[in-house]
Amino acid sequence: MILHLINRAPQHPAVYQALAESFSKGDHVLLIEDACYAALPGRQDVLAPFAGAVSALEEDLVSRGLRKRVGDSLEVVDMAGFVSLTELYSRSLSWF
Amino acid sequence: MTSRSPDTHRPLSYALLVHGAPYGHQAALSALRFARALAQRGHRVATVFFYHDGVHNASTLMSPPQDELSLQAGWRELHAQQGSALLVCVAAGLRRGLLDEAEAARHGKPAANVEPPFELTGLGQLVDAMFSHDRLLTFAP
Repeated sequence: MILHLINRAPQHPAVYQALAESFSKGDHVLLIEDACYAALPGRQDVLAPFAGAVSALEEDLVSRGLRKRVGDSLEVVDMAGFVSLTELYSRSLSWF
Repeated sequence: MTSRSPDTHRPLSYALLVHGAPYGHQAALSALRFARALAQRGHRVATVFFYHDGVHNASTLMSPPQDELSLQAGWRELHAQQGSALLVCVAAGLRRGLLDEAEAARHGKPAANVEPPFELTGLGQLVDAMFSHDRLLTFAP
């Protein structure tokens, strides 16, 4: 089981596609930095392959003014939650 | 949900691989912020390895405005608080003008800008960190 960190905005679909090809059941995806734009309700198409296994980092949502626009459509974790994910998943891959 | 609590919580050692230059990208800030959060959960950043443009984080000459975050000070504080090794890829550093006194003398340069606790090292140290630490996370631009 792998924790995938992605920091690219959804305007870079090739990165999401590469991640989807590597993604296995039981893996988890954390949206950080500009990947938080993929958490917007209208941009979540790139997240379809990871349904139910995606979180977005709260601090990066807030710094981009996106926090209230995400609503309950996606799990949001804070930095402590990010750390917890790395406790649960012993391996991580960064996509950029 | 804001955090998960695994059934077994034991202190873990982490290696962070930083590819991003300071200020131009968020990578270095993300890594530093994550390192600080680790300490709050009882874990430790044992090694930070600066690679590619990430080596610029090691420049002792960085002089950001006093009312802005100093990444250089942040890394030094991390070393002081957690004993984190701050390793800088020597090959990436030399290319970009990041030299300690020994390298500056060797290459006939007039100044050095890498000082302890930052250390110029080889990629072997990164491989060692990958095998000897519990976790490795990469922060890239």
